[in-house]
Amino acid sequence: MSKIKRHDLIVILEHWVIAFSGIMLIFTGLGCLPLFKRYYITEIPGFRWSADFYLLTKLHYIFAIFFTFMVLFHIFYHALRKDFGLLPRRGDFIASIKMILASFGLMKEPPSDKWLPEQKYAYLGWTFAISAVLITGILKVLKNLEWVIFNPKTEALLNLLHTLFGGFFILVFFVHIFFAVAIRANWPLLKSLITGYVDEEYVKHRHSIWYQRIMSRKNKSQKTRESELDQ
Amino acid sequence: MDISRRQFFKLAGLLGALALTPKEGQAYPGKFATLIDITKCDGCEDEPIPRCVRACREENKDRFPEPIKPIPPYWPRKTYEDWSDKRELITRLTPYNWLFIQKVEIDGQTLYIPRRCMHCDSPPCVKGCPFGALTKQPEGNTVIDHNICFGGAKCRDVCPWQIPQRQAGVGLYLKLLPKLAGGGVMYKCDLCDRRIKRGEEPACVVACRERLGENAVYKFGPREEIYKEASERVKNEGLFIYGDVQNGGTATLYLSKIPFEKIDVKLREMKAVFQMPVVVKNRYLEEINPWGKVILGAGILGVATGIVSGLITRNKKDEEV
Repeated sequence: MSKIKRHDLIVILEHWVIAFSGIMLIFTGLGCLPLFKRYYITEIPGFRWSADFYLLTKLHYIFAIFFTFMVLFHIFYHALRKDFGLLPRRGDFIASIKMILASFGLMKEPPSDKWLPEQKYAYLGWTFAISAVLITGILKVLKNLEWVIFNPKTEALLNLLHTLFGGFFILVFFVHIFFAVAIRANWPLLKSLITGYVDEEYVKHRHSIWYQRIMSRKNKSQKTRESELDQ
Repeated sequence: MDISRRQFFKLAGLLGALALTPKEGQAYPGKFATLIDITKCDGCEDEPIPRCVRACREENKDRFPEPIKPIPPYWPRKTYEDWSDKRELITRLTPYNWLFIQKVEIDGQTLYIPRRCMHCDSPPCVKGCPFGALTKQPEGNTVIDHNICFGGAKCRDVCPWQIPQRQAGVGLYLKLLPKLAGGGVMYKCDLCDRRIKRGEEPACVVACRERLGENAVYKFGPREEIYKEASERVKNEGLFIYGDVQNGGTATLYLSKIPFEKIDVKLREMKAVFQMPVVVKNRYLEEINPWGKVILGAGILGVATGIVSGLITRNKKDEEV
């Protein structure tokens, strides 16, 4: 079966570095809340260390290094390349609702481009969740370094907001995981985030707009080659 | 392309070095400090309750917790922290007693040590509270907002002296997640925040002076003056000082004729809940903040590498992404 390239190595790396560091930030962040002692996590063999808030905070910071690097790289890299295909456009909202209903077998999927309309809204959700935790997190780092001194009310609000945005981040994470893992139609997309490729048949059926574009470009370049050979 | 890659690594190295350059996170001291001269404290042995303790309880009685009963346990555990039946206890810190006199016998001498929050210059409780319930005030004191506190007790766990005390069955968690999260409200000395903001002294300081006059144990005043006086007395009278360097510095200085190492050894022997370790590192400043610098460096590096890679590859796109 013929394969079509969906992601290059940089995109795959971006996804998995942000995913892995994000999961670890959720885990260490929940530990910082604190919840682990109460819920016996610290009593699980091998998890005794998770009772130490200083160690959890240090680990939270270490995973934030990778997260911060990759998120900022992602923003500047794709903005300069004008990779705006994941940003929602007119008509995507209705189409994303149709896609979600189709995920549960309630209607037929509308034709899609490279990115599914629901993916675009998921991206928007992630943009908000990640920006919110990242901005408040960086401000907390600056505050803890005492390079920036906030007044007490702002400091309190900042600490609270980072926790609340962390909760929103977790919510978006679970919705994301649900659609990636529980919806069978999305499995080829998950696979492509490891291999970089999707089956041509899958693209033809699910991403017909994208497929037509690929085919017309292919035909165009073939015709150009043929006319070059004729000359 | 090769040159760009080399430039990348150079830039990465430079930014990494910049991020790791030691720039000590300086604790920011507040306006005031308290001197507690334990050479003068007799624990008010001739009175039913030490004056400072009584004044503290009187001053803060309106803020003491009134828990609901029965108090719900911290599910899935069957326990909860309840001091409401021990309101009269004055021999330790509780949610109903934010200052106590610790009695220690050393070399035939009896020491009376008033114990309460040290009001650290760089308080880990404030940095660690995930709900923003704790704040460091410009006056130098650390305050818990009882309306926001969720009672997770993290502030107590990160405090080198385990000062904040928890009462279950009270506070915000009962309205939000009574069963799943939160454990009550944390209580501790706030250095009489309302009083000092009005330009008055903390209640304990006033009460001690009423009893001992010029010979009072407590002295409250501008931080520079208190630190200067303490340091001169250490030099001139051969006293020992505690609180100036512990946890990166605090707004509470103790003076004693007996070295604090000895006092702490004794407290450990006594298995006291509230000890006085002499070596107290501020783990936020020493262990966590260096990683904070690396995060900032990684952010700068992410922007730089994103810009360079974006510029290099922007004309080489074979597909809209």
